[in-house]
This record gives sequence, structure tokens and C-alpha cells, in this order.
Amino acid sequence: MLLFFIFSPKQFAFAQSSYVLPYPSEMPGSKLYKAFVLWDELMAYWYFGNLSQFTYSLEQSDKYLVEAKTLFEYKQYYFADNALKESDEYFHEAKRALDRAAVERKDIKDKKTILREAAKKHIEVLESSRNRVPETFLWQPEKSQPTMLSIGSNLSQSISVRKSCF
Amino acid sequence: MFLKLLLFATYIIFLTLIVIFSYSFIDPNLGYLKDIYTGFAFQNRQLTTVLFVFFLLCFFVYYILFLKFFNKKQLSQKEIKTLICATVGVLIFAYPAMLSYDIFNYIATAKVLFLYKENPYIMMPIDFLHEPLLAFMHAANKTALYGPSWLLLSGIPFIIGAGNFILTLFSFKLFIVIFFLATIFLILRITNNMFSVILFSLNPLVVFETIVSSHNDIVMVFFALLSYYLLSKKRVWLAIVFFLISVFIKFATLFILPIFLYAVWKSINKQKVYWDKIYYYSSVAMYVIFFLSPLREEIYPWYAIWFLVLAFLIPEKKLLLLISIIFSFSLLLRYIPFMLTGNYFGFTPLAKILLTFVPIIIGLGIVLLHKSWRKVCFR
Repeated sequence: MLLFFIFSPKQFAFAQSSYVLPYPSEMPGSKLYKAFVLWDELMAYWYFGNLSQFTYSLEQSDKYLVEAKTLFEYKQYYFADNALKESDEYFHEAKRALDRAAVERKDIKDKKTILREAAKKHIEVLESSRNRVPETFLWQPEKSQPTMLSIGSNLSQSISVRKSCF
Repeated sequence: MFLKLLLFATYIIFLTLIVIFSYSFIDPNLGYLKDIYTGFAFQNRQLTTVLFVFFLLCFFVYYILFLKFFNKKQLSQKEIKTLICATVGVLIFAYPAMLSYDIFNYIATAKVLFLYKENPYIMMPIDFLHEPLLAFMHAANKTALYGPSWLLLSGIPFIIGAGNFILTLFSFKLFIVIFFLATIFLILRITNNMFSVILFSLNPLVVFETIVSSHNDIVMVFFALLSYYLLSKKRVWLAIVFFLISVFIKFATLFILPIFLYAVWKSINKQKVYWDKIYYYSSVAMYVIFFLSPLREEIYPWYAIWFLVLAFLIPEKKLLLLISIIFSFSLLLRYIPFMLTGNYFGFTPLAKILLTFVPIIIGLGIVLLHKSWRKVCFR
């Protein structure tokens, strides 16, 4: 028993990051989804300034990550894949906003820590999703061409985006 | 004549003493003023409190004397203007964080917006770790508390300050004083009554909270008054714009919105507006929001400016006038418990309530007794 605990792999450990992700918001297909997306886009102007932009982008990245995770669980792979791409883009933007803030000589030490904690939590979620989804998926819409979704490689790509901030 | 000269001379000396006294409150962490830091107010709390009460009582004696002199027609309009100029000219040099640290919040919020170019409704001063204001300001962990009108207006003194803390501090003071003088000008235009002008401009609470502590309530009140004034001149749209500016400074004037809309409706329909009633009900409405302020935080003495300015427009409403004057005295007493103990907890909250409301009860009791005594005598 003792040997098991000593040599057990680290991925069996409990949550690695204390960073808290939000509850899932509206999902694609909901009547309010587009309104929420529009609202979020408008809010981007409210979050002016690079530190505010960091906060906004990270919140958006979190939101889309949770959306992707939920959609993966419901096997809505096409929408999940899109949400994952949005999350990646916002994560990139959060990093870029911090870099710009550093150029402006703003203190970004705390924000960098937050970004790293967020990245850890994102990686936890992404890795747990990767274990549950197929590597590829042929998405066949009713009235258009089918699309092959490379879910596994997209998830690996998302993980590497998060790892780049360490 | 000699008595009046003596009164004026002692008043200016008295104001100068207040300025000197105010610098005993310099925060130990305020490095910009370390050369004149004494720590007196924090090391000698009992003596400081006694001095504060003495200054307060003297100020009210002067206030009552000026009002009496005016009623006896012993004060000319020119002399009143001289008194106001002297009050402003001397007290503008007082240390502004003697009774409240709000001026540092104004500067910090303006800095977040105009220097760091971040949204102060999202970013707090504490987010800027190397910000020197963090050493001595008190609300570093709060996003902007005021409306967008104030945020934009605060850019003016902030830019004039040119990055120099002392210059910024005093440009904020000057900015507030300009609104104070503009409010006095409006009171005179609205009432054409110098008694109302004295009631407001030399009121110790108004003077302390506006010229010394530089609270932005005067800016909100100025725009509200300006909107009423413009409405009385049938400039309806301009009045609405200035009313909105007022609301978006500190939101409290939202409480007089129904009264304002009623006046707008009357004006549009070309009906007679009874302005005395408008001012009376507006003052009562501001009293209501004033009494509701503990729901948000607590009653702060400078909130009295909201109703004082309106109550002083109609001095013929004797009861309102009496309550307002007593309140302007009792609310300043709220500073005593903290000044004495240096503690916001324990007995302090109860002491503040007692100091605020006991003088009102005593004052109203005396008036009632006086009235019933006169009734008995004249029977």
C-alpha cells in the first residue's frame, strides 16, 4: 500500500491548480447564445487598457474552455472544437496583453502568476477531455460537405498553447 | 465698526490656525510631506480631539455671529464676499486628508484612467504594485466608486498636476473650490438672497468638507442646482443634460429625479413651477437618501451637503433650516470618536450615532419648549 502511494503516477493527484473556472454559460444552439456572444464582444471595449484586456481575455478563454469541455461531454464535437479554438485565441490574447503591459512598465508579476495558474487548470481540463474523446471525428452536417475534425491534435495544440506560458 | 473689524481679524487668524492644525494629521506614510510630518494628531489624540472640538465650536460661533450681523444689516454684500474669499483663500492651503482620505482616492482613480489608461471600474489602484499612492491611501482595494462624469472631470486637475503629487493634490483642491464658488454664485442667482449665501458658504460643515477635505459632493450638487436654474429659465434640454451629469457624478441626485421630472413636465406644459416647493421636496428627498446611506456603508458628514444646499435656498422653512443647521454641527462631531480612540470599532459606531442624533433631539426639544413657553406667556 505504502509503495503504491510512493510510486503512483502524478496524474492521479487531485486538482493541481487552485484556479477556479466559471460555471458553463449558454451553449451553442440556445436562443440566447448569440446575444451573449454579442454582449461579450461589446464588453471588449469596456475592458480597455492592457491589464483590463488581460482580465477580459482570460475570462473569455476560461468561458470557452468550460464550454468546450461541456460540449465534449455531450459529444457535440464540432461546436466543442470551435469553442476550443476561441479559448486558445483568447488565451493567446491574454498573454499578448500582458506583454504589452510589460512594455508600458506596468507591474505584471501577479498577473503572470494568475496566467500560470490558469494555464495549469486549463491543462488539467484539456488532458481529462483528451482521454475521453476520439482522435478524429467526421462531422456530417445535413446540407453541406462533411468535415474531418482532428480533435486529438487540436487538444494537444491547446495544451501546448497553455504550456508556452511557463 | 471696531467690533466687526475685530471679528474679521480673529476669523482670519482662526482660519489660519485651522490650516496649521490640519497639517498635524499628515499620514506617516505620506513621503511627499515627510519634511513637515510631526505625528502630532496620532500621538496626542486627547489634545487633538479637544482642539478639534474647540475649532468646531468657534467656527459655529462665527457662523451664528455672521448670520446675526447680516440679519441686523451690519454686514454688507461686499463684506460677505470678503469673508467668503478669506475663507477660501486661507483654507485652500489646509491639508486635505485631515478628516477623510477621499482626495487620495480621486487622484488614484484619475491616475488609473489617465496615466495607466486602464478602466478604473475594473482595475483597482492595488493592481499597480509600484504605485506610490498605495503607501497612504485607504481604498486601494476598491474599483472606482464614482460615476463617469466625475471620472472625466477629474482628468482636469489630474492633468494640471503634471505628475507632481503636491501640485496634483492642490489642483484637486482648487478644482473643488471652483465648484464651491460656482455653487455660491448659483445660490445668489436663484434666491437673490445673501442670507442663503451666508447660510451655505460659511457653514462649517460645508467649509470643512468642501474647502478642506475637497469632497466631490459639491460638484454633484452644483450640476443639480445648475439644472434647476436652467429649468427655471426654460432651458429644458440643457437642464436635463446637466442633471444627468450630476447623477453620473455620485448617483445620489437620482433620488430627486421624480421632482426634477415633475418640474420639467410643468415647464414643458408652460405651467407655473413653484420653485420653493421643488427645493423643499428635493431637500427632503436628499434627506431620505442621506438616512438610507447606512444601507450602503455609513452616514458620512459630507453627505449633508446634498440636502444643506437645497434647504438653504428656502430659509423661510424654519424647521428644515433648524434641523439642517443642527445636523451640520452634529455630523462634524462624528469625527470625534475615531480621532480620540484611533479605532473604528468597539464604542465608536454607537458614539457616532449618539453624537449625530442627540444634538438634533436636544435642539428640537428646546424649540418645542420655547414655542410652548411663548404660547403660555401670550395667553
